[in-house]
Amino acid sequence: MSTIIQEHHSKNILYPPGGILMWIIIYLELITFGAVLIAMVLYSKDEPELFHQSRLQLNTSFGAINTLFLLVSGFFMALTVGALKINNIPKSKLYLKLTMFGGFLFLGLKTVEYIDKIDAGLTMGYNTFFSFYWMLTLFHVIHVLVGLVILASVLRTMIKKPEKLIIEDVEASATFWHMCDLIWLLLFPVIYLIF
Amino acid sequence: MKQKPFLYVLIALIALTLLSAMVSNSEIVYAKELIMILAALKFLAVAFYFMELKQSNRFWKVSLVSFLTIFISLFLII
Repeated sequence: MSTIIQEHHSKNILYPPGGILMWIIIYLELITFGAVLIAMVLYSKDEPELFHQSRLQLNTSFGAINTLFLLVSGFFMALTVGALKINNIPKSKLYLKLTMFGGFLFLGLKTVEYIDKIDAGLTMGYNTFFSFYWMLTLFHVIHVLVGLVILASVLRTMIKKPEKLIIEDVEASATFWHMCDLIWLLLFPVIYLIF
Repeated sequence: MKQKPFLYVLIALIALTLLSAMVSNSEIVYAKELIMILAALKFLAVAFYFMELKQSNRFWKVSLVSFLTIFISLFLII
């Protein structure tokens, strides 16, 4: 019965997956990141060589591996929600832990990358490219951190009070986590591959 | 729960990511355009499958595709 209600809701304009408020946040985030990325392209027109040389100082492999970490993490997040919908709490717990592990790997590699850049003197004030690089990637990292805190609270409820778990809350948390994927999928090509 | 569709999407996403990195290191003329198209495909795959937007109202699908189209177009035009 609840599945039927859920399917009926999913086709309703007021009930997108994760909830309408979460989607308003997603659009605000996408517009904000999109606007800054477009500004970055506009600035690159004034200093194309500087942007190209700066981009070459980034480690593309780090960017690509971090993309894979987030994609695999997103895959496990989708499985978490799927398992929860059929009331398979043990599997859901396992998938959620794997989702969070992917997030931690992302943050770990990002930390290595940041230390590498700071050691090389490529800090925020180094040039225009690196100002954008730090601003965009740090803002994204903050989102990943917030996402991990939300997922940790979901996991805590799953372990301690599974009877109090509300599927809509888990779906909203999953939608926030996937939003981190979406933002990264725009950042990665623009910052690491194009200039 | 059907895991296979999600697994196929993940494999496609990984392949597209590796392809993007390869295109970036190649001398292809339209590399920038190709990289952005590949990024758009990945973006849509995550949204439609992992976020289950595929099962939502048309409004949300159209609005997300519109955002992406505007972003990619602006990016390539500038």
